[in-house]
Parts: sequence; C-alpha cells; structure tokens
Amino acid sequence: MDVLAWTALFSPAVAVVAIALLGERIDRRSAGLLASGATFLSFVCTAALFFQLLGREPENRSILSTPWTWLTAGDLKIGASVLIDPLSVFMMLVVTGVGFLILVYAIGYMDGDDEERRYHAYKALFIFSMLLLVMAGNLLLLLAGWGMVGLSSYLLINYWHQRRAAVEAGKKAFVMNAVGDATFVLALFILVQQTGSLDFSTVFAAAPDALGDGSTLAVLVALGLLGGAVAKSAQVPLHTWLPDAMEGPTPVSALIHAATMVTAGVYLIVRTSPLFELAIDVQELAGILGAVTLLMAGLIALVQTDIKRVIAYSTMSQIGYMFVGVGLGAYGASMFHLMTHAFFKALLFMAAGLVIHALSGEQDIRKMGGLARELPWTYRAFLVGALALAAIPPFAGFFSKDAILSSLIDQGSLGWILWGVGIVGAFLTGLYTFRLLFIVFFGEPDPYVREHLHRERFEGPLSMMWPVGVLAVLSIVAGFLQVPEQWHLVTEWLDPVVESVPEATGGLALFSILASLGAATGGIAVAWALYRRPGDRPAAIRARLPWAANALEHKLWWDEAYDALFYRPASQVATWLLGRIEGPIVLRSLGGLGTGVRDVSDRVAAAQTGRVRGYVLALAVGLAVLAIVFLVVA
Amino acid sequence: MLGPGIAAYLILSVVLFATGAFGVLIRRSPLIILLALELMLNAGNLALIAFARQLGNADGQIFALTVMVVAAAEAVLGLGLIVAVSRKRVELDVDRLTSLRG
Amino acid sequence: MITTILILLPIAAALAIWIFPWRSQRAAGSFALLVALAELALWVGTALNFDFGATGLQAEADVTWFSDLDVAYQVGLYDYSLWLIGLTAVVTAAAVGYGFWSGRERLGVYLSLLLFLEGATIGVFAAQDLVLFYVFWEAMLIPLYVLIGVWGGPGRLGATYKFVAYTVAGSLLMLVAIIATGLDAGTFDMTQLGGQGTSTWIFLGFAAAFAVKAPLWPFHGWLPDAYRESPPEVAAVLSGVISKTAAYGFLAIAIPFFPGPAEDWRTPLLVLASIGLVYGSLLAFRAPDVRGVIAYSSLAQMNLILIGIFAVNASGYTGALLQMVNHGLISAALFLLAGAIERRTSTGELSLLGGMARGRPVLATILITTGVIALAVPGSTAFAAEFLVLNGIFDIGWGWAVVGAVAIVLAAMYMLRLISAVLHQEPGSAVPAEALDLRPAEVGVIAPLVAVLLVLSFWPAAITERVFGGIF
Repeated sequence: MDVLAWTALFSPAVAVVAIALLGERIDRRSAGLLASGATFLSFVCTAALFFQLLGREPENRSILSTPWTWLTAGDLKIGASVLIDPLSVFMMLVVTGVGFLILVYAIGYMDGDDEERRYHAYKALFIFSMLLLVMAGNLLLLLAGWGMVGLSSYLLINYWHQRRAAVEAGKKAFVMNAVGDATFVLALFILVQQTGSLDFSTVFAAAPDALGDGSTLAVLVALGLLGGAVAKSAQVPLHTWLPDAMEGPTPVSALIHAATMVTAGVYLIVRTSPLFELAIDVQELAGILGAVTLLMAGLIALVQTDIKRVIAYSTMSQIGYMFVGVGLGAYGASMFHLMTHAFFKALLFMAAGLVIHALSGEQDIRKMGGLARELPWTYRAFLVGALALAAIPPFAGFFSKDAILSSLIDQGSLGWILWGVGIVGAFLTGLYTFRLLFIVFFGEPDPYVREHLHRERFEGPLSMMWPVGVLAVLSIVAGFLQVPEQWHLVTEWLDPVVESVPEATGGLALFSILASLGAATGGIAVAWALYRRPGDRPAAIRARLPWAANALEHKLWWDEAYDALFYRPASQVATWLLGRIEGPIVLRSLGGLGTGVRDVSDRVAAAQTGRVRGYVLALAVGLAVLAIVFLVVA
Repeated sequence: MLGPGIAAYLILSVVLFATGAFGVLIRRSPLIILLALELMLNAGNLALIAFARQLGNADGQIFALTVMVVAAAEAVLGLGLIVAVSRKRVELDVDRLTSLRG
Repeated sequence: MITTILILLPIAAALAIWIFPWRSQRAAGSFALLVALAELALWVGTALNFDFGATGLQAEADVTWFSDLDVAYQVGLYDYSLWLIGLTAVVTAAAVGYGFWSGRERLGVYLSLLLFLEGATIGVFAAQDLVLFYVFWEAMLIPLYVLIGVWGGPGRLGATYKFVAYTVAGSLLMLVAIIATGLDAGTFDMTQLGGQGTSTWIFLGFAAAFAVKAPLWPFHGWLPDAYRESPPEVAAVLSGVISKTAAYGFLAIAIPFFPGPAEDWRTPLLVLASIGLVYGSLLAFRAPDVRGVIAYSSLAQMNLILIGIFAVNASGYTGALLQMVNHGLISAALFLLAGAIERRTSTGELSLLGGMARGRPVLATILITTGVIALAVPGSTAFAAEFLVLNGIFDIGWGWAVVGAVAIVLAAMYMLRLISAVLHQEPGSAVPAEALDLRPAEVGVIAPLVAVLLVLSFWPAAITERVFGGIF
C-alpha cells in the first residue's frame, strides 16, 4: 500500500526531472506523453488505493506512511509522511483523474508552441505538488505542497512570459498566495507551541485541551488557516489574482484555476475541521466570506467580455458555495460539489479552449457569435457544462449544489441567510452562464468569426476532443453519487474522517430543491430574453443603472484598493528608504568620519604658524608656567 | 672671599638673561636674535661660574665650557642659515620667513 | 590532525603558488583548483567519519603557544562547525572553479588568495582558543582586501576602504574584549570559558565585531559597495561564507560565554535584526541592479539568521544553522549567476535587462530554481529553516514572528521581481541576441550548489538531525 502511495506521489515528479534533463533530446509530443503518462500512472495507483480502502472496515481506513524524517529541531520532529484515508484518496482521484484528462488535452492545445516541453514539465510539477498537498500527513508537509502548488501556478500563469500582462499576473498570484502562506505559518507556530507537533492525528487529539474551545488561541489558529484557504481559493478578500490568472494557457486555467488548486482551500478547511470546530465563529466566517464571494463574483461575471474571465468568476462563485458549505459543517456536500465542479468547470474551460483554438486565440465574446452552427460538437459540450453549472437536473451540478443548500436549511438563522444567498447565486449562475452561451454560440456570427474561424475535419485535434467528451459524460452521470434521501455515497465515504451535518429531508428538502431550480431556470429565462438575439435590451439596462455597470466593470475596484493600500506604499517606503536613509546615512557614514577627522586636524595644524617668534613665546610662557608650578608645589 | 658677593653676579646674570630674552622676542632681524641668544647663553654661563666659585666646585666651570662649545656651534649654524637666506635676496625678517607652516 | 590539515592545506597551497616559479598563470590556477577540490574531498571524508551522536569536540589538536597566558593552538570540530566548514569548502571550490574558467588577470595569485581566505575561514570555525580565533579572524581580512582592492570594479577603492574600516573597528573592540576575557579567566581556552561571563561591556565588544561582519542592521554600510564592486566569485565567498563567521561568532562565543548580558540585550538585538530583515527586504524590492537585489536580500537573510540565534532555543538555533548553510549556497549561486549575466550583458542594471529566458533554457531554469528557493517557497530547505527560526522566536514573543511572516511576503515580491526583470518580457537593451546560454563550465560550477539545495529540500533533517547534539 505504501508503495502505491509513494509511486502515485512521485511519478509526476520523475516526469518533471526527466523532461528537464532530457531537454531537447525528446520531441515535444513525447514530453507531453511523459507528463500525462506519469499522471495516468498516479491515477491507476490511486484507483488501486481506493479499492484497497474499500476492502477495509471504515474505522480502519487511515494509513500513515513515514519513510524518513523531514525536519527536526530539539523536540520537534516532522516526518516525511503520507496519509492515505478516504479524504485524501477522494482528492487524489479528482486531481489525477481530471488532471490526466487535461494534460492529454493540453498536448493538442499547446501543439506547436515554442517551449512546449517546459509547459508539460510545469504541469507535471503541479500534479506532484497538488498530490503532496492532499496526501501530506502533517501540516508542514501540507504547507510544502501548498507552496509548490503556488509556485507551479506562477510558472504556468506567466508561461507566455514575453507578455507583460502574463508576467504581472503571475507575480500577483504568487504574492497574494504568499500572504496566505504567512497567516498559515503563524497558525502553525501556535500549534507547535501548544501541542508540540504538526501531525494531523497528534494535533487534532491534543487540540481541545491545548487550545480550548472558543479560546483566543483557537480563534487565531483558525484565522491563520482561513487566511491561507482564502488566498489559495481566491475568496474575498484575497481573490483579485484569479481573473488575472487567465493570462495562462487555457488548460492551465482548467486544471489549476478551476479543478484543483483553487479547491485546495476547501480541502484544507475540511481536513483541519477539528481545529475549525474549536472556533465556530471563524468557521462561520468562512461561510460568510464564501457567500459574499458567491454574490460578488456572480454579479461581476455578468459584465465580463472575455470568455475565460466569465468562467473564472464563475469558479470563484462556485468555490464560494463550497466555503458556505464547509462554513456550516456540510463537509460531504462541499466535497461532492468540489468533485462535480471539477468535472463541469474543466469541461467548460476546455470547450472554451476549443473555441479559442478555432478562432486562433481570440477570447473576446463580442467578436463571437453563431458558433453553434460552426462548432456543433463544442457547442454541445459547452451546453452540458452550462447546464451542470446552472444546476439543472439531471446534470451533476444540480445534485451537488442542492446537497449544500439543503444542508444549510436547518441550521439556524445564519443557515437561512446563507441559503437565501445561495438561491440568489443560483439565479445569477443561470443568468451569466447562459448569457455566455447565447452570446458565443447563438445569433449571427460576428465578422471576426467569418474571417478567422478555421475548421478542420474535426473541431479540434483528437487529443483535445476525447477528454472533453469524457468530462461531458462525467458531468452528466457524476451527480448520481448523491441523490437526496436515497443515498449519500460521498458523505458516507468521508464519514470516518469528517462528520458532516445532515441534509434536510422531507418537505424542507423539497422546498429547497424547488427554490434553487426555480432560481436557476429564472436566470436562464432572463438570459434568454436578453441575449438570445442581439438586441438593445442589455444596453438599455446598463443605461438605467450606470453606476452599477461601472462598479461591476471595475470589479468593484478591489485591485485599485490593494494597489493603493499595499503595493504602492510598500514601493514608496522602499524607494524612500533607498534614497534618504541608505544613501546618505548608511553609505556615506564613513565619509563623514573622514571629513570630520580632516577638519579637526586642519584646526590643530593652524597652530603651526611658521613664525619663530610665536614658537619662542610659547616656549617662554610654558617654561615660566612650569617654573611657577614647581616653585609653588615644591 | 674676594670681590662682591654672589648676589651681584646673579643679578647681573638675570639682567643679561632678561635682556637677551627680550631681544629674542622683540627683534625681527635674525642676526640680532642670534646676538640676543648669545647674550642669554652667556648669562647662563656667568651664573654657572659664580656658583662654581662659591661652592668651590669645578663642575660649574666645566659645564660653562660645554655651553660655550654649544653656543659656538649654534652660532655657526645660525650665521650659515642667515647667509644662505640673504643670498636668496630674501628679506631678513623673521616674521616673513614662515614657509615651514602647518 | 585532520582539522589542522583542513586549515593549512589551502594556506600552504597559496604559499606554494606565491613562491614557486610557475610555468604560466594558468598552471598555477589549475593547481589552485585541484587543491580546492582536494579540500572538498577531505571535508567529505571528515564528515563521513564524524560521530554525530557524540557531544563535545572531535578531531582536536592542542599545542601550547604562550604558556604563561595559557594561549594554545587549539582546534577542533563540533557538529555545527563541521557543516560550516563544509559550506566553506563547497563555496570556495565553486568560486575557484568559476574564477579559473572566467580567466582573471594573474590567475594564480588571484586563486591563491581565495585559497588563503578559505584556510583562514576554516581556522575561524575550528579555533578553540580565543587568541587563535582572533588571528584567523583578522587573517580573513588580508586576502579580501587585496581581492576587492585589486580585482574589483570601478568603485573598488572606496568599497575596500569602507569594508576594511568597518571590520577593523569591530575587530579592535573584539580584541579588547578577548584580552579582558582571557586575563580575567586566566585562560583563553574556549572549551573552558562557557557560561561564566557577566560583563556587559565585554559582551558588547564581541558583539560589535560580529554585528559589523554579519552584518546586523545598521552596521551594514560596507555591504552594498563591497558586494557590487567585488568580482562575482569573491562576492559569492564574501556573502556566502564570510558573513557566516559572524553568525558563528554569536552562536559559539558571544552568547554561550555571556549568557547574562546576552539575555539582557536580547530585545535590542532582536529589534535591530527585525528592522534589518524588513529593511533589507524592502530595499531589495527596489534596488535597481542585480547585485543590489542580491546584496540587500543577503542583509535580510543574515538578519533572519541572527533572529534565530537570538532566540537561544533549539528551534531557533537549528533553523539558524540550517539557514546559514542554505543561504551560503543560495548566495553563492546567485552571485555566480549575476556574474554570468554581467559577462553577457556588461551590466547589472535591471532596467536594461529582460527577456533572457528566450533561447536560454538552462539559465532560466537555474535562475528560477535558485530564486524560488531563495524566497523560501514552502517545500524548500530555506522554508524549513525559516520555519524553524520563526517558530523559535515565536516562543520568545509572537510579535517577532509576525514581522518574520511579513518578510515572507516581501521576499516573494523582491525575488520574483528580480527573476522577471532578468528573464521575462522583451529582451532588454543590454542583452545582445547572440548572448549564449550557460556554458557547461558555468553549469558545472553552479548546478552542484543548486543540487545540494534540492537534496536538502527533500531532506533538511540531514543537517538538522546532526547539529547541536547534546546542547539541546
């Protein structure tokens, strides 16, 4: 079992090293095959682990493997440990499964790019890092995977590093994640100080006594972890890096910024839920932040004109749902939504990628239109993804979003408020998703499309099409893993690790389902009315609410605020220090000493007048003084 | 004891010394300064010999002889410097000869 | 015996180069390279034979020098000094290799000075007698003075003057402190002096010398110019190894010998080190040239190491030592890379650079790898060390750890800025299109440093399990 786990973890790492060392000696396609092959190997190992776990009793499904000690200092000992339990295997399946599909897709998408090998190496590095994150058996190793995931994200966002926008986006993503890392690490210090360890089992067992329920320390720990989660998952207030991250190639957006990395925050909260449950206020704060993000992102998505940015804000919004879920203890439902979201969001990104590929790189939806006729297969894939996203049954998103919503209902006033927000969010989701669908695929093709669309026999290379197909199928069937009131396979699978709150049943559940369905179809209907045919209605609405449109188009000025509050002050302070303190004071300090000494010596030298009579007088006076002194003293 | 008491010699010695010192401080010509310097030295000699006579000890006289040798040597040097300076057609004024300045 | 060989081999080789009539400078240089590699091999052998489980001094040598004052030639190895000597050997080998390949003028003399410096530095780490320690401490200055003053850049005279003046000022204070300590205790034997000192002034005398050399903020006035004007390999050694002697001084002498004053002065020292950490990071973020970024980043990292040392607990000390080794390797690699960039573009100004990643994958890979390890990305050995340091100082006061956490974000900002300014976007005006990728020789010198860092990232416990045995 250990062998399987470590093979799954290191197989992509070996691929990275191989691609790096072989360099130009292998051709580009082989680099892609190496990376995706390694990921497939990880997937196979993970599947084997899954079945092995199935064969065990639920209480017996937690295996820790620590082949070597990673770090020690005095009494602190941190092993290089890997934890195989239902939660980690669940995440591993999503990461390696969806990851494999996207890596294969990328072989076709990136074909012909100048430095393709570098791309595949980075992708494999990412898979390794993400696996390390979800497989880690202690918090420090989780943070190690966490950081390397951020690193891979940086490398992939500014993959096309000749473009200034990409370079800036990469730096921004990394630095914002670093802020999350900083808060994360502070939480770890408290844990080390109070429990003496960072192993999950030790910390969770010791925490109730060491930290105390609701104590300041517990709150600080939870806040630190939440800070990291918020940064990684692009929730308010550390969300501004995600839209910019769309500068990376589309498969990157699909894999990292939809399916896996951004869900790491959700995974963290679920994994460390024993710590969050000691600070319920912070846990609920996570839910509130999720709700705020959900709404804000949904609104901003309504005015975006870049096909990928719409999907990015949608991701932000959906992760908001997951945060809302974990905020109120619906761990199983949130992980279920994480999984289905991985499927349909990756599907949407990849379908969008097919569109972008067909239009030779154009991403502005105002230059699209009528593509349903030109790219029918892509259109159908996109439609499946859109229906899943909008949570229309029987597509997967319906079941998972509903699972979260119905878990919120019976949980007091906060639960109801968040449920309400979720319903509004469902309306917005339907609206922006189908706005996108209609603008891109319906109506008359834009002149741009007529010029630039190039169709081969298939709508894209085969390597791009069949992963999309697989994901489309998954987006349809995966929902049936949890059917309300019939079975809850995901929640039950995760039960040994985290106990989730029960979903509502009976009348309440039905009410919730009908409300969310109503909201979603309402959103689709409005989109139909406004965007089905090109018309003036959207412009008219914008004219009636100019301030709203302006605010949304500026993404509520978060970027400007951060620039003014953090980046520019830091830059100005640094420049000021460099100019005013470092230059004059520190660097020229010895110069001052030198001139000072010279001044003094100049003054002393003034006594040497060169006049004999002066010297003689001095002699005489001195002699007289001495004589008097001697006479007096003696 | 023959002649005036030692006090007379000492007074004369002091007067001569003071005159010499005054001359060194006031006069501007190096030649005159040298002269005054000689006066000071001889004043010292006088005092030495007077005390030697009074104490009946020859040490003072020998010291005075040594001083005379030193005075002679110094006079040679001083006059040599003055001749060298005057050869350069520089004014023999001690207040003007200040090149060795700090 | 082995310790004495480790100290004297490079010094003897330097003397040999000066005295013998060599066929050519290149022949002398080859000899120097050979000796540097032999020294490294010698260290590996010593390390393999070292007993990490035992506490106390190993590989000792003790020969009386002045018996009336109890001064002796006494050297030996502790587990932590073994790692620092290893760092010295590795970085010097890389520096000599790079210097040999880049062909400085009067190569033989140049490399022999690097070797002499190596011997003196190892002497500092191995010395167990205070007077001997001082001798080696001052001996480090001589080759550096010549190396920077003769082979340095256009501003080398000012840089050398400042460097020497600062260092000597500190060392003279330390000399007074050493004399006072030795006369007071009746012996200069470091193994017998631990834990008794109570005089604040003597502690400050030692601290002055170490604070200048580390450098602790605000005694760093010599640093930017010295790092900018030195040849790349000298900067690598200066930043990578010599600065660690100061940290070692705090760790092995100032704090253990004067526990009381150290405790009293802990807060002011922590304040200075914390300021240095943030100040260095901010200045690195806005420094206009490659060397400036590396120099100020070095200032920040050294102050981080000092924070760990001032924590005086297991986590802080272990983290500090691990970071000493890490930063030595990182700094050396970065300065050698800076040298490679300067060779190709004749400048280090960031505004004139850019776009070097295109067509130069090896340079890009190595620079990015070194850069992300330098900014302590979680998962790297630098992160492990930084975690231990901040964890240690958290026990002293949570505020210091918060400052450290802020520095984590700043490090990301300045390092990524450096990477992007050199590698990304359009080629800068100083970057000629025909500038080559890293040559095999350059890779052969820099890649091993990075490889060691990567190994340590997988297994930081290789060092942390083998330090301070018996002390903590």
